[in-house]
Amino acid sequence: MKILEDFSNIFTRYDLNIEVARQEARKVSKDAVLQKVADAVVAGETAECEAATKAALASKSPMEVINEGLIPGMNEVSRLWDEGVYFLPQVILASDAMNAGIALCEEKMGKAMDKKGKVVTHTAEGDIHDIGQVIVNALLNANGFEVINLGADVPVDKVVEACRLHNPVMVTGTALMTTTMTAFPKIAAQLKRLGLNIPFVCGGGAVSEEYVTSFDLGIWGKEANQAPGMAEDALAGDSWSVMRSKWNG
Amino acid sequence: MKLTSQMAYKSAEDMIFGTALKPVTTKRGIVLGGGHVVPEVVPHPRPGSEKTMKTLLREYERANGDALERCVIVGHPTLQIENEHVFQMTHNPKWGGEIAAQTAKQMDEYLKKYGLKASYRSTPADLRKPDMHHMRESDYTKEVLESFEECTKYADVVSIESMGGKEIFDHAIIRNDIAGLLFGQAVLGGRDMEWMWTQIVEICKKNNCIPGGDTNCSEANTAMFMAGGFISKDVPHTLAALSRAICVSRTLVAYECGATGPTKDCAYEDPIIKAITGVPISTEGKTSACAHSDLCGNVIAAVCDLWSNEAVEYHDMFGATTTAVFAEILGYDAAAMNAAIDLGYQKEFQACLVNSDKYRGPHGFMLSPDNAWLIGKAVVDNNESLYARGKAAAIKCGELMLGDPKLRLTQFERESLMGYMKDMEKLPAKEEDFIDMCLKKYAKVKGFNPAAYGL
Repeated sequence: MKILEDFSNIFTRYDLNIEVARQEARKVSKDAVLQKVADAVVAGETAECEAATKAALASKSPMEVINEGLIPGMNEVSRLWDEGVYFLPQVILASDAMNAGIALCEEKMGKAMDKKGKVVTHTAEGDIHDIGQVIVNALLNANGFEVINLGADVPVDKVVEACRLHNPVMVTGTALMTTTMTAFPKIAAQLKRLGLNIPFVCGGGAVSEEYVTSFDLGIWGKEANQAPGMAEDALAGDSWSVMRSKWNG
Repeated sequence: MKLTSQMAYKSAEDMIFGTALKPVTTKRGIVLGGGHVVPEVVPHPRPGSEKTMKTLLREYERANGDALERCVIVGHPTLQIENEHVFQMTHNPKWGGEIAAQTAKQMDEYLKKYGLKASYRSTPADLRKPDMHHMRESDYTKEVLESFEECTKYADVVSIESMGGKEIFDHAIIRNDIAGLLFGQAVLGGRDMEWMWTQIVEICKKNNCIPGGDTNCSEANTAMFMAGGFISKDVPHTLAALSRAICVSRTLVAYECGATGPTKDCAYEDPIIKAITGVPISTEGKTSACAHSDLCGNVIAAVCDLWSNEAVEYHDMFGATTTAVFAEILGYDAAAMNAAIDLGYQKEFQACLVNSDKYRGPHGFMLSPDNAWLIGKAVVDNNESLYARGKAAAIKCGELMLGDPKLRLTQFERESLMGYMKDMEKLPAKEEDFIDMCLKKYAKVKGFNPAAYGL
């Protein structure tokens, strides 16, 4: 078969045009022990992070290890992702490593560390396509939120009950199918009836902005990586309508 | 189950669109893979229409009917319609059966009135989410099998997008974990398919229905869509390509259990499946942009026997309803390919399709007929286990990507690929050792139940 030598009239490889130069992670601590903890997070190495955290806990308080090693390491990962150096798997692996380190610190403290706020997440009833939700969960965790993960194929009443029980700063819904996303306005209506005006971020697959912004509380989430920013806005007290005007339209 | 040891096609040069070594004939006389390409349109109901069987029947009556009517209006000689079940159609198996019966009746009427040859593919939804339901013993499992019982009474073809190994795959794909992909897709997925497809083929035999095939939509397509286009940062395209190669090990199981094709349209691995088995394949590329984007727009048509649009929601467009519009578009695409065949220009036309996208990205590259054949050869030459052939496919795919300078990779993509190749070198040679390793490694993955796969 005849194959062209030059494809420039056929397609343009924009990914090559915008390729970001390799960057090393920045140092986040002057303390070598804490820097080692951060390095393990940046590298996404769970076993190394556990070892470094245990070593650090021999001379530092758990909160020092969390606030000056684990979280700054994760922040560095977020920066590298934002700048296009890291891909999603590196962020997830870093999050796994950070969580393993935090678990050791919490064990030593004898209690869970304080989280920024709660977010209830779910995938719609009748829908089992939840990888988007899995990513949202990981990113929210990595950014210090407590995730109330209801899983996939979740009935409307269960989502509403979880919101009533946990009073989260935000609730999310994921759906691949247009025929399952019809659960979202039902959830929103019940939340409103209960006086729970919680920003309800809906996204995934065929879920459109037009659909989500057709009911009160709804904010359309285009990409999973928007979730932490949206949760920060909700935590800061932005109403669903303020959030909608910022993230949609 | 005996794993395939030989290629159906002696070389990639022998593969062409419209013709398969093992054609299949539908109830109204369409010979799929019998010399010409057949359009396959996939309507999807509007939200809200799933409320009752009555409303859903009406929705499909209109959506499927509009596609049939448009074929007559513009003169397309053949059409296959696929209905991928929404949750409610499989959850209530009678619903899927009623919709199949209604569509078969519509097709009979169009044959009688106009002579239009049409066929119907019904695809029950695999409701079994591995981390939530027992793959072999849940109520959902029973509903899926009952759905096949109902639909095979009326449909020409049945297919499924089976979910085996999805819990491990989802864990692995976002962690750069090639071992997890091999375990989830090849080892678990293949075992689940053998269990499921043995039963589907028996049901088809009983009801005189064609057992079409399976697709790794839930895994390899997830990887491909996460890899996305040229500005996505979710998953490396090279990892998605390896995932595609691995999935051949499991998708092939359907045909080893007795499925005959036409394969499922969203199985982008189908060119490799055709090279190995010779069954007619349905593929989708540019015409599926209504449902999702890919980088395989034309190249994926190079050896197709049916040409599909993945799924389009039923609603109005300027030109008519979406299903009418897409039936027209798909039919004209097929007409161009069929004109090339009848003029004797099919290899030239195929070269145009291939040159369009072979080097656009890793997926188009590996699914180009030459590379698809080579990956298929690696599969059949390593047929000692589902694991061995999945790994061999991935290694061959990686070698091809690294060995062709025309496939340009970003530094990140290349480094990632070299990392996966190194990771695969370290994996055990034997499947039993690999399984032992994975049972320990993934013991804590939420909802993973080895017994559900017979392990």
